[in-house]
Amino acid sequence: MSNVSLYSVAYTLSSVLLGALAHLFPAPIHGWLISGTVVTALAAVIFAAILLLASMLNTILLIWYERKLLGRFMDRRGAMHVGYAGLLQNFADGLKLFRKDTVRPGQADPLGFWLSPTAYMVTSLVIFGLLPISTGWNGGSLPLTLLLALVIFSFAPLFIFLGAWASNNKYSLIGGMRSAAQMIAYEVPILLAVVAVVVLAGTFDLNTIVLEQRNYWFWAPLFLALIVFLTGMLAEMERIPFDLPEAEAELVEGWNTEYGGMLFAFFMLADYLRALVGSILVVLLFLGGWTLPSYVPAALTSFPLAGIVWFMVKTYLVFGLFVWVRASLPRIRTDQLLRLGWMRMVPLALLSVLLAALVVLSHCLPLIGCVPSMGG
Amino acid sequence: MTEMWVNMGPQHPMTHGLWNLRVRIEGEIIKDVEPEMGYLHRGIEKISEDRHYNEIITLMDRTCYVAGLSWEHLFIVAAEQALHVTPPERAEYIRVMSAELQRIASHLMWYSAFVQDLGLMTPFLYGMRDRDLILDLFQSYTGGRLTYEYMRVGGVRSDLPLGFTQRCRQVVDWLMDRFVEYDQLCLSSTIFHERCDGLGVLLEPEAVAYGVTGPMLRSAGSRRDLRKDRPYSVYDQVQFDVATATTADVTGRYLVRMEEMRQSVRIVRQCLDWLDDHPGPVMADHLPRWLGAPYAPMGNESYLLKRNYPTGVGLSMIEEPHGEAGAYVVNDGGEHPYRVKFRSPVLINIWAAKRYLPGYRVADIPPIMGSVDVCVGECDR
Repeated sequence: MSNVSLYSVAYTLSSVLLGALAHLFPAPIHGWLISGTVVTALAAVIFAAILLLASMLNTILLIWYERKLLGRFMDRRGAMHVGYAGLLQNFADGLKLFRKDTVRPGQADPLGFWLSPTAYMVTSLVIFGLLPISTGWNGGSLPLTLLLALVIFSFAPLFIFLGAWASNNKYSLIGGMRSAAQMIAYEVPILLAVVAVVVLAGTFDLNTIVLEQRNYWFWAPLFLALIVFLTGMLAEMERIPFDLPEAEAELVEGWNTEYGGMLFAFFMLADYLRALVGSILVVLLFLGGWTLPSYVPAALTSFPLAGIVWFMVKTYLVFGLFVWVRASLPRIRTDQLLRLGWMRMVPLALLSVLLAALVVLSHCLPLIGCVPSMGG
Repeated sequence: MTEMWVNMGPQHPMTHGLWNLRVRIEGEIIKDVEPEMGYLHRGIEKISEDRHYNEIITLMDRTCYVAGLSWEHLFIVAAEQALHVTPPERAEYIRVMSAELQRIASHLMWYSAFVQDLGLMTPFLYGMRDRDLILDLFQSYTGGRLTYEYMRVGGVRSDLPLGFTQRCRQVVDWLMDRFVEYDQLCLSSTIFHERCDGLGVLLEPEAVAYGVTGPMLRSAGSRRDLRKDRPYSVYDQVQFDVATATTADVTGRYLVRMEEMRQSVRIVRQCLDWLDDHPGPVMADHLPRWLGAPYAPMGNESYLLKRNYPTGVGLSMIEEPHGEAGAYVVNDGGEHPYRVKFRSPVLINIWAAKRYLPGYRVADIPPIMGSVDVCVGECDR
C-alpha cells in the first residue's frame, strides 16, 4: 500500500491539471505547459500546499484535542457549542482574530515587530517538509534530515527575542531574555539525547531511523534519553511547566504582550505547530514512527494509509502526555530550569549516550536479548 | 542589566484586584517595591454616616466581596455594642456558622488564585468548583451568592430553611475529602516546593512590627487568633485549634490556610449540631422601631429626629479570613452612626511587601503576593 508517495500524488495531480489546461492553448504554449519542468514545478507547489493544509488542519485539531483533554482533567467539558463537540470552535476563534485590527505600539520597531511572528510561523512550517509522516510522505530523504529539523526548530527563541525587543515593552523584554536563557538550558540535553538515538541508529536520516526500529523501538534501550528528550521538548515548546517566557502570572504573556489580532494568532498557531513537531519527533525517534511491532495482527497494519493512521495515533498520544503534564504541574523559574538542564538533564543524556554505545558494541538489548541483525 | 521600574498593575494578572505594585528590578532581582493603593476607594466609611445601621450592611458585602458575611459580622458586632442590643443565641450560632463557611469560601478563592499564579490550572478550577457548593448553601438561606445582606442589628434576617443542616453537612464532608486532593496536587509536587519554600519570609517580630495579622502572622509561628484570644459571638463555645506554621514563607501560609479550612469545618459541624437542638427566635425583641424600618415614613421625619435613644460606642475586632479586621462605630443617638471606621488587614499585609519582597526574583512576585491573599475592596474601602 505504501508505494504511493505524497510527491507522486502531487505529480499526478499536476500533470492532469496541466494536461487539461494545455488543451485550451495553441501549440507552443501547449508544449511548454506539459513539459517536465513546468509539471515538476507545479507538483512541488501542490506538494507544499498539501503539506501546509495537512499541518494546519492537524494543528487546529490539536488545539481542539488539548482543549477537550484539558477540560476533562479539570472536571469540565471544554469547547462544546460550535460544531459537534466544539470541533469548529477554533475556526470561529481564528476568524475572530482574523477580523481584528493589528495594532503596533508607536514606539515599537516596525521591521522587528512584523518580521518576528512571520519568521516564527515560517520556520515552524518549514520543518513539516522534512518530517516523514509515513513512507514517502515527506519532501525527500536527505542524509541529515534530523539535524536540519532540529536546527530550524531551535531558531524560534531568536525570533521571540527579536519580537520581544522590537515591542519596546518591559514585560516583553524580560520574556525575551528568559526565552534566550531557556534555550541555553534545554538545547544541549536535547541534542545529547538525539546523539544517543543517532548512535543506535547509525544515521541522521529520519526514514532510516524509523526503519532501524523494526526489531525494537528505541525507547526501551534509551529510556533515559526519552525522558530527557520529552522534558527538553516541553521546554522547547514553551509549555507548562516551562512556559516562563510567557508566564502570564507575572509577565502578562511575556514576549507576546504587545501582539494582538492576527499576529497573536500567528504566534498561537506556531506554538501548536511546534508542539505537533515535538510530538512527531518523539514518535519518530523513540516510538517506531509509523511501524507497529511484528506481533500485531497484519489486518491492523495493511489497510490503506495504515502507516499515517498509526503515526497520528502515536503523535496524539504523545501530545496527550504533554497535556497531562500541563494539567498537573506548576511553572518553574528560569534559574531552576537552568539548574535542571545542566545538572540533571545533561548527565542523564550523557549516560544514555554511553548506554547506546554499549548496546551497539554488544549487539544486545537489556530487555529483548541479543539481536543478530542490528543494522546501522 | 541596568535597573528599571516596572509597574505591576493596576491591571495586571498578579494583583487580583485594582492596585499597583511598582517594582525596581535589576535583571530579575527585585531591589525595591512600592505598593500603590487607592484605586478602588469608594468612601464606604463616609457613606456609612448617612445610612441607617441596617443599610450599612449592604456596604459591608461590597467592602470585601469574597468574604461578605465576615464583614457583615464585623460591623454587626460593633453596631450592637454601640446600640446596646443583644441578639438571641441562635442568631449568634448562625452568624458563626456563616462566618466559618465564608472563611472556607474565601480561602478556596485564595487557593484558586494562588495556584493559578503558580501556573497550575487544574486546582484552580477544582477550587472554584468547590467554592460554588458553599455559595449554593448561602443562596439557600440568604438568597445571595456574593452580596448577602443577611445579618441585622439584633439578629439575622431569617432562620435557616428546612433540611439546611443536612445539606450543609454533606457539603463539608465533601470538602474534607477535597482538601486531601488539594494537598496532593500541591504539596506532593517538587516544583511546588521549589517555587514556594523559603520565599517571602516575614519573621514574627517584623510581622508584629508592621502590624501584619492573620494567616501571614500565624505562618511565622505566632498563635495569635482573635477567635481564641478575644472571643466574640459564641467562639468561646466551640472547639477548634489555631493553625500555625513555623517557616514564615509561602509554603507556611499555604499550610496555615489549609489547616484553617479544616478547623472551620470542625466549627461548622459543631454549630450545625447546636442549631439542630436549639430552635428559637433569630431576632432580638424590643428593638428600637427605627432599626426595623430602614426608611423613614413619608411626612413623619420629625418623629424620628425627636426620639431620644441612649448613645454608645462600639468596637469590634474579628478574625476575618485575611487577618484581623476592626470596626469602630459611634452612636450619637441618631438613626445614623456618627462615625464609622474600619481596620483592613489586607492593607497592612500588602504594605509590608516593602519588607518581604526585595531580594527575590520577578518570577517570585506572583506566589508571594498570592500567599498574602489580597482583597482590594476591603483594602481601599
